[in-house]
Amino acid sequence: MKNLSDHFIWKALKEGDLKAFSVLFKTYYPMLYNYGLKISKNPSLTEDTLQDFFLYIYEHKENLSDLETIAPYLFSSYRRHLLKTMKKKSKTIAIDEMEKTIVDVNFSPEELMTHQENETFKNKNILHLLNNLPKRQKEAIYLKYYSGLKTSDIASVMEVNYQSVVNTIHKALKNLREVAAIHQLFNS
Amino acid sequence: MIKKNYNTIEDFLNDTSFINWAKENKLSDASFWEDWIANNPEKKAMVYDAKEIVVGIQFKKTAPSKEKISLEWEKLEKKINKKSRPIFKRQKPGYSRYIAIAASIALFISLGAYLMNNNFSKTTHKTTYGEFLNLTLKDGSKVTLNSNSSISYYKNNPRKVWLTGEAFFEVDKKETTQAKFWVLTGDLSVEVYGTSFNVDTKHQKTDVFLEEGAIFLAFKNGQKAKMKPGNFISYSSKKNLILEQRSLVNTSHKTSWKNGTIVFENSTLSNAIKRIEDTYGLTAVFKDKKAATRSLLESYQLPI
Repeated sequence: MKNLSDHFIWKALKEGDLKAFSVLFKTYYPMLYNYGLKISKNPSLTEDTLQDFFLYIYEHKENLSDLETIAPYLFSSYRRHLLKTMKKKSKTIAIDEMEKTIVDVNFSPEELMTHQENETFKNKNILHLLNNLPKRQKEAIYLKYYSGLKTSDIASVMEVNYQSVVNTIHKALKNLREVAAIHQLFNS
Repeated sequence: MIKKNYNTIEDFLNDTSFINWAKENKLSDASFWEDWIANNPEKKAMVYDAKEIVVGIQFKKTAPSKEKISLEWEKLEKKINKKSRPIFKRQKPGYSRYIAIAASIALFISLGAYLMNNNFSKTTHKTTYGEFLNLTLKDGSKVTLNSNSSISYYKNNPRKVWLTGEAFFEVDKKETTQAKFWVLTGDLSVEVYGTSFNVDTKHQKTDVFLEEGAIFLAFKNGQKAKMKPGNFISYSSKKNLILEQRSLVNTSHKTSWKNGTIVFENSTLSNAIKRIEDTYGLTAVFKDKKAATRSLLESYQLPI
Protein backbone atom coordinates (compact mmCIF):
# COMPACT_ATOMS: atom_id res chain seq x y z
CA MET A 1 0.00 0.00 0.00
CA LYS A 2 2.35 2.68 -0.87
CA ASN A 3 2.42 5.31 -3.43
CA LEU A 4 -0.83 5.70 -5.31
CA SER A 5 -1.54 9.01 -3.65
CA ASP A 6 2.06 10.21 -3.63
CA HIS A 7 2.55 9.54 -7.31
CA PHE A 8 -0.61 11.38 -8.37
CA ILE A 9 -0.39 14.25 -5.93
CA TRP A 10 3.15 14.96 -7.03
CA LYS A 11 2.21 14.73 -10.70
CA ALA A 12 -0.78 17.03 -10.22
CA LEU A 13 1.34 19.50 -8.26
CA LYS A 14 3.87 19.64 -11.06
CA GLU A 15 1.02 20.52 -13.40
CA GLY A 16 0.14 23.40 -11.11
CA ASP A 17 -2.90 21.88 -9.39
CA LEU A 18 -3.39 24.01 -6.29
CA LYS A 19 -5.88 21.53 -4.84
CA ALA A 20 -3.31 18.74 -4.96
CA PHE A 21 -0.82 21.07 -3.32
CA SER A 22 -3.26 21.76 -0.50
CA VAL A 23 -3.70 18.00 0.06
CA LEU A 24 0.08 17.66 0.15
CA PHE A 25 0.40 20.57 2.58
CA LYS A 26 -2.26 19.31 4.95
CA THR A 27 -0.90 15.77 4.91
CA TYR A 28 2.72 16.57 5.58
CA TYR A 29 2.51 19.78 7.58
CA PRO A 30 1.95 18.03 10.96
CA MET A 31 4.85 15.60 10.45
CA LEU A 32 7.23 18.28 9.24
CA TYR A 33 6.15 20.64 12.00
CA ASN A 34 6.95 18.04 14.65
CA TYR A 35 10.25 17.27 12.97
CA GLY A 36 11.17 20.94 12.70
CA LEU A 37 10.25 21.59 16.31
CA LYS A 38 12.40 18.67 17.42
CA ILE A 39 15.37 20.09 15.54
CA SER A 40 14.96 23.81 16.27
CA LYS A 41 13.04 23.69 19.56
CA ASN A 42 11.54 26.98 18.39
CA PRO A 43 7.83 27.02 17.35
CA SER A 44 7.85 30.35 15.49
CA LEU A 45 11.04 29.52 13.62
CA THR A 46 9.50 26.17 12.64
CA GLU A 47 6.34 27.85 11.33
CA ASP A 48 8.25 30.49 9.38
CA THR A 49 10.65 28.05 7.79
CA LEU A 50 7.75 25.75 6.82
CA GLN A 51 5.96 28.65 5.09
CA ASP A 52 9.11 29.52 3.16
CA PHE A 53 9.77 25.90 2.36
CA PHE A 54 6.31 25.13 0.96
CA LEU A 55 6.25 28.38 -0.99
CA TYR A 56 9.61 27.47 -2.49
CA ILE A 57 8.24 24.08 -3.58
CA TYR A 58 5.20 25.61 -5.25
CA GLU A 59 7.23 28.24 -7.03
CA HIS A 60 9.65 25.65 -8.35
CA LYS A 61 7.05 23.00 -9.12
CA GLU A 62 7.91 22.83 -12.81
CA ASN A 63 11.52 22.01 -12.05
CA LEU A 64 10.88 19.34 -9.45
CA SER A 65 11.99 15.86 -10.40
CA ASP A 66 9.46 13.03 -10.57
CA LEU A 67 8.83 11.29 -7.29
CA GLU A 68 7.20 8.04 -6.29
CA THR A 69 7.42 8.70 -2.58
CA ILE A 70 7.14 12.23 -1.29
CA ALA A 71 8.05 11.88 2.39
CA PRO A 72 11.82 11.40 2.09
CA TYR A 73 12.11 14.34 -0.29
CA LEU A 74 10.13 16.65 2.00
CA PHE A 75 11.91 15.56 5.17
CA SER A 76 15.41 15.90 3.79
CA SER A 77 14.83 19.17 1.89
CA TYR A 78 13.04 20.75 4.83
CA ARG A 79 15.75 19.57 7.20
CA ARG A 80 18.39 21.17 4.98
CA HIS A 81 16.39 24.39 4.71
CA LEU A 82 15.82 24.59 8.46
CA LEU A 83 19.44 23.90 9.35
CA LYS A 84 20.58 26.55 6.87
CA THR A 85 18.23 29.13 8.40
CA MET A 86 19.34 28.22 11.90
CA LYS A 87 22.97 28.51 10.87
CA LYS A 88 22.39 31.97 9.43
CA LYS A 89 20.71 33.12 12.63
CA SER A 90 23.32 31.59 14.87
CA LYS A 91 26.15 33.50 13.21
CA THR A 92 25.28 36.49 15.31
CA ILE A 93 25.26 34.43 18.47
CA ALA A 94 28.30 32.37 17.46
CA ILE A 95 27.56 28.78 18.22
CA ASP A 96 29.90 25.99 17.30
CA GLU A 97 29.41 25.40 13.58
CA MET A 98 30.04 21.68 13.77
CA GLU A 99 27.41 21.23 16.40
CA LYS A 100 24.71 22.71 14.19
CA THR A 101 24.82 20.17 11.41
CA ILE A 102 24.11 17.24 13.71
CA VAL A 103 20.50 16.99 14.71
CA ASP A 104 19.89 16.35 18.37
CA VAL A 105 16.42 14.97 18.94
CA ASN A 106 15.22 14.77 22.53
CA PHE A 107 12.02 13.25 23.83
CA SER A 108 9.79 14.62 26.56
CA PRO A 109 7.86 12.52 29.09
CA GLU A 110 4.48 13.39 27.52
CA GLU A 111 5.58 11.96 24.19
CA LEU A 112 6.20 8.46 25.41
CA MET A 113 3.24 6.10 25.69
CA THR A 114 2.92 4.70 29.17
CA HIS A 115 1.89 1.44 27.58
CA GLN A 116 4.86 -0.02 25.69
CA GLU A 117 4.21 -3.14 23.66
CA ASN A 118 7.73 -4.32 24.20
CA GLU A 119 8.04 -5.70 27.74
CA THR A 120 11.61 -4.56 28.29
CA PHE A 121 10.69 -0.96 27.54
CA LYS A 122 8.09 -0.88 30.31
CA ASN A 123 10.62 0.82 32.50
CA LYS A 124 10.30 4.16 34.18
CA ASN A 125 13.85 5.11 33.20
CA ILE A 126 13.24 4.44 29.52
CA LEU A 127 12.89 8.14 28.66
CA HIS A 128 16.19 8.97 30.28
CA LEU A 129 17.85 6.04 28.52
CA LEU A 130 16.33 7.08 25.22
CA ASN A 131 17.60 10.63 25.48
CA ASN A 132 21.09 9.40 26.31
CA LEU A 133 21.43 7.41 23.11
CA PRO A 134 23.89 8.66 20.45
CA LYS A 135 22.33 11.39 18.29
CA ARG A 136 22.18 9.37 15.09
CA GLN A 137 20.38 6.55 16.88
CA LYS A 138 17.91 9.00 18.41
CA GLU A 139 17.12 10.55 15.05
CA ALA A 140 16.62 7.15 13.42
CA ILE A 141 14.30 6.12 16.27
CA TYR A 142 12.40 9.38 15.89
CA LEU A 143 11.93 9.03 12.12
CA LYS A 144 10.93 5.38 12.34
CA TYR A 145 8.59 5.27 15.31
CA TYR A 146 7.46 8.88 15.71
CA SER A 147 7.21 10.08 12.11
CA GLY A 148 6.42 6.58 10.90
CA LEU A 149 8.71 6.72 7.86
CA LYS A 150 9.72 3.56 6.06
CA THR A 151 13.29 2.36 6.51
CA SER A 152 14.16 3.12 2.88
CA ASP A 153 12.80 6.67 3.36
CA ILE A 154 14.84 7.16 6.52
CA ALA A 155 17.92 6.09 4.61
CA SER A 156 17.48 8.91 2.11
CA VAL A 157 16.66 11.48 4.81
CA MET A 158 19.75 10.58 6.84
CA GLU A 159 21.83 10.12 3.68
CA VAL A 160 23.01 6.63 4.52
CA ASN A 161 22.14 3.26 3.02
CA TYR A 162 19.27 0.99 4.00
CA GLN A 163 21.52 -1.48 5.78
CA SER A 164 23.01 1.16 8.03
CA VAL A 165 19.56 2.46 9.07
CA VAL A 166 18.59 -1.06 10.12
CA ASN A 167 21.88 -1.39 11.99
CA THR A 168 21.43 1.96 13.73
CA ILE A 169 17.91 1.15 14.89
CA HIS A 170 18.93 -2.37 15.87
CA LYS A 171 21.81 -1.00 17.91
CA ALA A 172 19.63 1.65 19.56
CA LEU A 173 17.02 -0.86 20.68
CA LYS A 174 19.69 -3.26 21.87
CA ASN A 175 21.30 -0.45 23.87
CA LEU A 176 17.95 0.37 25.44
CA ARG A 177 17.22 -3.25 26.24
CA GLU A 178 20.61 -3.84 27.87
CA VAL A 179 20.66 -0.66 29.93
CA ALA A 180 17.06 -1.25 30.97
CA ALA A 181 18.04 -4.73 32.18
CA ILE A 182 20.89 -3.30 34.26
CA HIS A 183 18.55 -0.74 35.80
CA GLN A 184 16.07 -3.47 36.61
CA LEU A 185 18.80 -5.42 38.35
CA PHE A 186 19.79 -2.52 40.58
CA ASN A 187 16.28 -1.50 41.41
CA SER A 188 14.90 -4.90 42.29
CA MET B 1 5.07 -23.46 4.44
CA ILE B 2 8.60 -22.53 3.62
CA LYS B 3 8.54 -19.28 1.76
CA LYS B 4 12.17 -18.45 1.28
CA ASN B 5 15.40 -18.37 3.18
CA TYR B 6 15.56 -15.94 6.04
CA ASN B 7 19.23 -15.31 6.67
CA THR B 8 19.44 -11.71 7.78
CA ILE B 9 17.33 -9.34 9.82
CA GLU B 10 16.39 -7.52 6.61
CA ASP B 11 14.87 -10.70 5.18
CA PHE B 12 12.41 -10.65 8.05
CA LEU B 13 11.82 -6.89 7.99
CA ASN B 14 10.90 -7.01 4.29
CA ASP B 15 8.35 -9.77 4.75
CA THR B 16 4.70 -8.75 5.07
CA SER B 17 3.73 -11.96 6.78
CA PHE B 18 6.49 -11.50 9.37
CA ILE B 19 5.47 -7.92 10.07
CA ASN B 20 1.87 -9.02 10.54
CA TRP B 21 2.98 -11.61 13.03
CA ALA B 22 5.33 -9.24 14.88
CA LYS B 23 2.57 -6.65 15.21
CA GLU B 24 0.19 -9.40 16.25
CA ASN B 25 -2.46 -8.03 13.95
CA LYS B 26 -3.08 -11.17 11.92
CA LEU B 27 -3.58 -14.18 14.06
CA SER B 28 -3.72 -16.39 11.00
CA ASP B 29 0.01 -16.08 10.43
CA ALA B 30 0.80 -16.86 14.05
CA SER B 31 0.78 -20.62 13.65
CA PHE B 32 3.11 -20.39 10.67
CA TRP B 33 5.71 -18.30 12.51
CA GLU B 34 5.54 -20.33 15.69
CA ASP B 35 6.20 -23.43 13.62
CA TRP B 36 8.99 -21.67 11.79
CA ILE B 37 10.75 -20.68 15.00
CA ALA B 38 10.39 -24.20 16.36
CA ASN B 39 11.94 -25.59 13.17
CA ASN B 40 14.75 -23.02 13.05
CA PRO B 41 15.91 -22.70 16.65
CA GLU B 42 19.30 -21.33 15.57
CA LYS B 43 17.60 -18.25 14.16
CA LYS B 44 15.42 -17.58 17.17
CA ALA B 45 17.53 -14.67 18.44
CA MET B 46 17.45 -13.04 15.01
CA VAL B 47 13.67 -13.45 14.82
CA TYR B 48 13.22 -11.71 18.16
CA ASP B 49 15.62 -8.92 17.21
CA ALA B 50 13.61 -8.37 14.02
CA LYS B 51 10.37 -8.47 15.98
CA GLU B 52 11.74 -5.88 18.40
CA ILE B 53 12.52 -3.58 15.46
CA VAL B 54 9.02 -3.96 14.04
CA VAL B 55 7.32 -3.34 17.39
CA GLY B 56 9.70 -0.56 18.41
CA ILE B 57 8.72 2.21 20.78
CA GLN B 58 5.26 3.72 21.03
CA PHE B 59 5.05 7.49 20.99
CA LYS B 60 2.13 9.74 21.76
CA LYS B 61 2.18 12.01 18.79
CA THR B 62 1.28 15.60 19.30
CA ALA B 63 0.34 17.48 16.18
CA PRO B 64 -0.73 21.02 15.41
CA SER B 65 -4.54 21.28 15.42
CA LYS B 66 -6.62 21.14 12.24
CA GLU B 67 -7.50 24.81 12.68
CA LYS B 68 -3.84 25.72 12.95
CA ILE B 69 -3.00 23.79 9.78
CA SER B 70 -5.86 25.43 7.87
CA LEU B 71 -4.68 28.82 9.07
CA GLU B 72 -1.14 28.10 7.90
CA TRP B 73 -2.48 26.90 4.55
CA GLU B 74 -4.50 30.09 4.05
CA LYS B 75 -1.40 32.10 4.83
CA LEU B 76 0.53 30.19 2.18
CA GLU B 77 -2.31 30.37 -0.35
CA LYS B 78 -2.37 34.15 -0.02
CA LYS B 79 1.35 34.32 -0.75
CA ILE B 80 0.92 32.06 -3.78
CA ASN B 81 -1.96 34.10 -5.17
CA LYS B 82 -0.12 37.35 -4.66
CA LYS B 83 2.80 36.14 -6.72
CA SER B 84 0.80 34.63 -9.54
CA ARG B 85 -1.81 37.39 -9.81
CA PRO B 86 -1.06 38.64 -13.35
CA ILE B 87 -1.80 35.24 -14.86
CA PHE B 88 -5.40 34.15 -14.59
CA LYS B 89 -5.11 30.49 -15.10
CA ARG B 90 -8.31 28.52 -15.13
CA GLN B 91 -8.05 25.16 -13.59
CA LYS B 92 -8.06 22.57 -16.28
CA PRO B 93 -11.05 20.28 -16.15
CA GLY B 94 -10.40 16.65 -16.77
CA TYR B 95 -8.54 13.98 -14.98
CA SER B 96 -6.30 15.94 -12.71
CA ARG B 97 -9.21 16.93 -10.51
CA TYR B 98 -10.59 13.40 -10.24
CA ILE B 99 -7.15 12.16 -9.58
CA ALA B 100 -6.75 14.71 -6.81
CA ILE B 101 -10.04 13.52 -5.30
CA ALA B 102 -9.08 9.87 -5.62
CA ALA B 103 -5.66 10.62 -4.21
CA SER B 104 -7.00 12.54 -1.25
CA ILE B 105 -9.33 9.70 -0.38
CA ALA B 106 -6.46 7.28 -0.74
CA LEU B 107 -4.62 9.10 2.00
CA PHE B 108 -7.15 7.85 4.48
CA ILE B 109 -6.64 4.22 3.71
CA SER B 110 -8.03 2.22 6.53
CA LEU B 111 -6.01 -0.60 7.87
CA GLY B 112 -9.01 -2.85 7.64
CA ALA B 113 -10.29 -5.48 9.93
CA TYR B 114 -8.66 -8.73 10.70
CA LEU B 115 -10.26 -12.06 11.36
CA MET B 116 -9.60 -14.61 13.97
CA ASN B 117 -9.13 -18.12 12.86
CA ASN B 118 -9.58 -20.70 15.53
CA ASN B 119 -9.37 -23.73 13.32
CA PHE B 120 -6.08 -25.30 14.23
CA SER B 121 -5.63 -27.62 11.34
CA LYS B 122 -6.40 -24.91 8.79
CA THR B 123 -3.91 -22.24 7.75
CA THR B 124 -5.22 -18.95 6.44
CA HIS B 125 -3.34 -16.10 4.84
CA LYS B 126 -5.15 -12.81 4.59
CA THR B 127 -4.40 -9.39 3.20
CA THR B 128 -6.04 -6.10 4.00
CA TYR B 129 -6.72 -3.32 1.52
CA GLY B 130 -3.66 -2.10 -0.31
CA GLU B 131 -1.55 -5.06 0.77
CA PHE B 132 -0.04 -8.01 -1.10
CA LEU B 133 1.37 -11.27 0.04
CA ASN B 134 3.78 -13.54 -1.82
CA LEU B 135 3.53 -17.07 -0.57
CA THR B 136 5.14 -20.34 -1.44
CA LEU B 137 3.14 -23.34 -0.39
CA LYS B 138 4.68 -26.47 1.06
CA ASP B 139 4.55 -28.19 -2.32
CA GLY B 140 6.51 -25.35 -3.96
CA SER B 141 3.53 -23.68 -5.64
CA LYS B 142 3.64 -19.90 -5.59
CA VAL B 143 0.65 -17.74 -4.72
CA THR B 144 0.45 -13.97 -4.98
CA LEU B 145 -2.49 -12.77 -2.94
CA ASN B 146 -4.08 -9.47 -3.99
CA SER B 147 -5.42 -6.94 -1.48
CA ASN B 148 -8.46 -7.74 0.64
CA SER B 149 -8.19 -11.45 -0.17
CA SER B 150 -7.54 -14.68 1.66
CA ILE B 151 -6.58 -18.26 0.97
CA SER B 152 -6.81 -21.16 3.36
CA TYR B 153 -5.89 -24.79 3.27
CA TYR B 154 -5.60 -27.72 5.60
CA LYS B 155 -2.08 -28.35 6.74
CA ASN B 156 -2.15 -31.93 5.56
CA ASN B 157 -3.21 -30.90 2.05
CA PRO B 158 -1.72 -27.64 0.81
CA ARG B 159 -2.69 -28.50 -2.78
CA LYS B 160 -6.34 -27.75 -2.11
CA VAL B 161 -6.94 -24.09 -1.34
CA TRP B 162 -10.03 -22.00 -0.72
CA LEU B 163 -9.94 -18.51 -2.14
CA THR B 164 -11.87 -15.32 -1.54
CA GLY B 165 -10.74 -12.20 -3.34
CA GLU B 166 -8.04 -12.49 -5.98
CA ALA B 167 -4.85 -14.49 -6.36
CA PHE B 168 -2.36 -15.49 -9.00
CA PHE B 169 -1.13 -19.09 -8.87
CA GLU B 170 2.00 -20.69 -10.23
CA VAL B 171 1.51 -24.35 -9.53
CA ASP B 172 4.44 -26.71 -9.40
CA LYS B 173 4.07 -29.86 -11.42
CA LYS B 174 4.26 -33.03 -9.39
CA GLU B 175 5.75 -35.32 -12.00
CA THR B 176 6.08 -38.33 -9.74
CA THR B 177 2.70 -38.36 -8.04
CA GLN B 178 0.65 -36.57 -10.73
CA ALA B 179 -1.06 -34.89 -7.79
CA LYS B 180 -3.54 -32.23 -8.82
CA PHE B 181 -3.88 -28.80 -7.37
CA TRP B 182 -7.33 -27.41 -6.53
CA VAL B 183 -8.61 -23.89 -6.10
CA LEU B 184 -12.12 -23.60 -4.69
CA THR B 185 -14.31 -20.50 -4.77
CA GLY B 186 -17.99 -19.89 -4.09
CA ASP B 187 -18.74 -20.33 -7.77
CA LEU B 188 -16.47 -23.04 -9.11
CA SER B 189 -13.45 -25.22 -8.58
CA VAL B 190 -10.29 -25.13 -10.66
CA GLU B 191 -8.50 -28.39 -11.30
CA VAL B 192 -4.84 -27.89 -12.05
CA TYR B 193 -1.82 -29.83 -13.06
CA GLY B 194 1.19 -27.48 -13.20
CA THR B 195 0.36 -24.10 -14.66
CA SER B 196 -0.06 -20.39 -13.91
CA PHE B 197 -3.39 -18.63 -13.71
CA ASN B 198 -5.33 -15.85 -12.03
CA VAL B 199 -8.55 -16.27 -10.01
CA ASP B 200 -10.66 -13.31 -8.94
CA THR B 201 -13.82 -13.73 -6.84
CA LYS B 202 -14.75 -10.10 -6.34
CA HIS B 203 -18.27 -8.84 -7.06
CA GLN B 204 -20.19 -12.12 -6.63
CA LYS B 205 -18.65 -14.00 -9.51
CA THR B 206 -15.40 -15.80 -10.22
CA ASP B 207 -13.07 -14.73 -13.02
CA VAL B 208 -10.42 -17.19 -14.12
CA PHE B 209 -7.64 -16.25 -16.46
CA LEU B 210 -5.15 -18.86 -17.64
CA GLU B 211 -1.67 -17.66 -18.48
CA GLU B 212 0.11 -20.93 -19.06
CA GLY B 213 -0.61 -24.66 -19.12
CA ALA B 214 -4.09 -26.16 -18.96
CA ILE B 215 -6.81 -26.22 -16.32
CA PHE B 216 -10.29 -27.64 -15.90
CA LEU B 217 -13.14 -25.73 -14.34
CA ALA B 218 -16.06 -27.34 -12.57
CA PHE B 219 -18.90 -24.87 -12.10
CA LYS B 220 -21.36 -25.07 -9.25
CA ASN B 221 -24.11 -26.14 -11.67
CA GLY B 222 -22.16 -29.24 -12.69
CA GLN B 223 -20.97 -27.89 -16.05
CA LYS B 224 -17.32 -28.33 -16.91
CA ALA B 225 -14.91 -26.40 -19.10
CA LYS B 226 -11.36 -26.84 -20.27
CA MET B 227 -9.24 -23.72 -20.58
CA LYS B 228 -6.34 -22.95 -22.88
CA PRO B 229 -3.62 -20.32 -22.36
CA GLY B 230 -5.02 -16.81 -22.87
CA ASN B 231 -8.59 -17.93 -22.08
CA PHE B 232 -10.68 -15.84 -19.74
CA ILE B 233 -13.94 -17.04 -18.16
CA SER B 234 -16.22 -15.18 -15.80
CA TYR B 235 -18.92 -17.23 -14.04
CA SER B 236 -21.57 -16.46 -11.44
CA SER B 237 -23.21 -19.32 -9.54
CA LYS B 238 -25.86 -16.92 -8.28
CA LYS B 239 -27.00 -16.22 -11.82
CA ASN B 240 -26.03 -19.74 -12.91
CA LEU B 241 -24.46 -18.17 -15.95
CA ILE B 242 -21.17 -17.76 -17.77
CA LEU B 243 -20.96 -13.99 -17.92
CA GLU B 244 -18.00 -13.69 -20.21
CA GLN B 245 -15.82 -16.07 -22.15
CA ARG B 246 -13.11 -15.02 -24.53
CA SER B 247 -9.52 -15.37 -25.55
CA LEU B 248 -7.25 -12.45 -24.77
CA VAL B 249 -4.36 -11.33 -26.92
CA ASN B 250 -3.00 -8.68 -24.63
CA THR B 251 -3.06 -10.15 -21.17
CA SER B 252 -0.96 -7.86 -19.03
CA HIS B 253 -3.93 -6.07 -17.46
CA LYS B 254 -5.27 -9.33 -15.99
CA THR B 255 -2.16 -10.23 -14.04
CA SER B 256 -0.12 -7.02 -13.75
CA TRP B 257 -1.35 -6.40 -10.20
CA LYS B 258 0.95 -9.14 -8.90
CA ASN B 259 3.95 -7.06 -9.95
CA GLY B 260 2.65 -3.99 -8.18
CA THR B 261 1.02 -2.12 -11.05
CA ILE B 262 -2.54 -1.93 -12.25
CA VAL B 263 -2.70 -1.70 -16.02
CA PHE B 264 -5.81 -0.19 -17.55
CA GLU B 265 -6.42 -1.09 -21.16
CA ASN B 266 -9.28 0.31 -23.20
CA SER B 267 -10.96 0.77 -19.88
CA THR B 268 -13.66 3.25 -18.97
CA LEU B 269 -12.88 5.61 -16.12
CA SER B 270 -15.56 3.92 -14.02
CA ASN B 271 -13.97 0.49 -14.51
CA ALA B 272 -10.57 1.90 -13.63
CA ILE B 273 -11.94 3.53 -10.50
CA LYS B 274 -13.69 0.27 -9.54
CA ARG B 275 -10.35 -1.48 -9.67
CA ILE B 276 -8.84 1.19 -7.41
CA GLU B 277 -11.80 0.89 -5.01
CA ASP B 278 -11.28 -2.89 -4.79
CA THR B 279 -7.60 -2.51 -4.10
CA TYR B 280 -7.78 0.15 -1.44
CA GLY B 281 -11.28 -0.29 0.00
CA LEU B 282 -12.30 3.21 -1.01
CA THR B 283 -15.42 4.63 -2.53
CA ALA B 284 -15.12 7.24 -5.23
CA VAL B 285 -17.94 9.58 -6.16
CA PHE B 286 -18.20 11.04 -9.62
CA LYS B 287 -19.22 14.66 -9.47
CA ASP B 288 -19.73 14.58 -13.20
CA LYS B 289 -21.68 11.44 -14.16
CA LYS B 290 -20.56 11.72 -17.76
CA ALA B 291 -16.94 11.33 -16.72
CA ALA B 292 -17.63 7.75 -15.59
CA THR B 293 -18.25 6.54 -19.12
CA ARG B 294 -15.25 8.22 -20.61
CA SER B 295 -12.58 5.80 -21.65
CA LEU B 296 -8.90 5.98 -21.02
CA LEU B 297 -7.31 6.26 -24.41
CA GLU B 298 -3.94 4.82 -23.71
CA SER B 299 -2.95 2.03 -21.43
CA TYR B 300 -2.04 3.43 -18.10
CA GLN B 301 0.08 2.02 -15.31
CA LEU B 302 -0.66 2.69 -11.70
CA PRO B 303 1.83 1.80 -9.03
CA ILE B 304 0.22 0.14 -6.03
